[in-house]
Amino acid sequence: MINIKKTLFWQFLNLLEYELKEFLITLGNIGKDFARVIKSMLALKLDKGALVQQCSRFSIDSLPITLTIVAMTSIIIAMQIAPELAKQGAGNYVGSLSALVMVRELSAIMSGFAIISMIGSSYASEIASMAVTEQISAMKVLRVDPVEYLIVPRFLSGIIMMPFVVVISTFCGLVCAAVISNLTAEITYLNFITSMWHGLFIKDIFVALLKSSFFGGTIAIISCSCGYSTRGGALEVGTSTTRAVVWSFVAIAIWDYIFASIFYL
Amino acid sequence: MGIEVRNLTKEFNDKKVLNNISFKVEDGETLGVVGFSGSGKSTLLKIICGLLYPNSGEIITTPNNADIAMTFQYSALFDFLTVFENIAFPLIERKEFRNKYTQKELKEIVAQKLKIVGLQGIENKYPSELSGGMQKRVGFARAIVTNPKIILYDEPTAGLDPVSSTLIENYIVELKKELNASCLVVTHQLSTIKRATDKAIMLYEGEIVFKGSTQELLKGSNPYTQQFVTASIKGPMQIKSL
Repeated sequence: MINIKKTLFWQFLNLLEYELKEFLITLGNIGKDFARVIKSMLALKLDKGALVQQCSRFSIDSLPITLTIVAMTSIIIAMQIAPELAKQGAGNYVGSLSALVMVRELSAIMSGFAIISMIGSSYASEIASMAVTEQISAMKVLRVDPVEYLIVPRFLSGIIMMPFVVVISTFCGLVCAAVISNLTAEITYLNFITSMWHGLFIKDIFVALLKSSFFGGTIAIISCSCGYSTRGGALEVGTSTTRAVVWSFVAIAIWDYIFASIFYL
Repeated sequence: MGIEVRNLTKEFNDKKVLNNISFKVEDGETLGVVGFSGSGKSTLLKIICGLLYPNSGEIITTPNNADIAMTFQYSALFDFLTVFENIAFPLIERKEFRNKYTQKELKEIVAQKLKIVGLQGIENKYPSELSGGMQKRVGFARAIVTNPKIILYDEPTAGLDPVSSTLIENYIVELKKELNASCLVVTHQLSTIKRATDKAIMLYEGEIVFKGSTQELLKGSNPYTQQFVTASIKGPMQIKSL
């Protein structure tokens, strides 16, 4: 007689149950920590020094990698579309197309990916290390609220600084696109800039800034929460960091879809 | 009276880790808490300092809601802060002390606490630049910076050489005198029990199997303490993994 508990199907069900449980626990932790952060913010409990430090870290530390990724993406897109559009006699649209792609989508999402890998992962791993080495317990015993001290400044820095990062990376991306369009399809800078302004609306810029702010806050709260709920040792620090990165990627993809549906459908 | 624990019970997943634990520690007195690994000692400390909630029972401190300090087995110093910032941390970040002290006053307080633990002039070092013994002493200085009336020590001499252990034990005695605090010391080391505590309790499977003076623990006829002191495998206590 077949023992059902030894079958592959049963193991698959067990794995599914485990993953579902992990998913719900992570979601619960993020929700709980977000509620704590909001509660601290409403009580105006804010460490200004820590906020300035985290803002500087979120923006300055992440800029090199963010600019590199956005610039390279923009260069590749310009290389693909500029010669092709010029050949079809639509060279006048290269600027507007580049601006639309960069402002509406690419700049925010690529900056988000760069921030997750650079800042989100470091938030998760450093808070997780503090949790497993009892530093967070020590903070509680010293009667200092770890959420207020560690998570609130990081969350606020994400909300405040992400739009700045996106503005700078968009500017950098458009400059790169203009240069590449000029080199590969002989589209003049004036032509590119004129076309760019024809394609863009204030709404696009507003949505991009709002969306990037949501991205920044989401990356920060997910990364901090995954780190904060870590128990165990080095293995769990790694697992939490991976979880923070994966969840952040998925979360900003979902946000991107929601924003596109609300503002552009 | 410093601290009284009444009928404390704690369960994890239906397993009783602490069962009906009661004891008192007076001001200026040090209670040693001994027992095998997994007997519930650290859980007891975590409940007393508020990191865990008990299933039942109560903890009464005098004065009510007294400041409780704890030193951790691996020091738990904030590795991103200097020694000065670590020790001054509660005075800078804790709500009731925020903006109470000037930078000059903070420097004086930190220097004074470092002097008590024999570590002058290391304010600008980071925890990673210190030895294990020095980290523990910085942890002591951080714990006493708010002049607490209750101090909990979790394995204060674990992993240290015998001379460093003696040094730490001396500081436990000195800190108690300095602050007239009630202290609880969780330890496995007999030297720490002998030098640093006035009385002791012994836990086994979450229950108190001995309560008495340090002398009674070390020289008494209780079969549990005898087995512990003589480090014998034979006796009423069985380590399940053996």
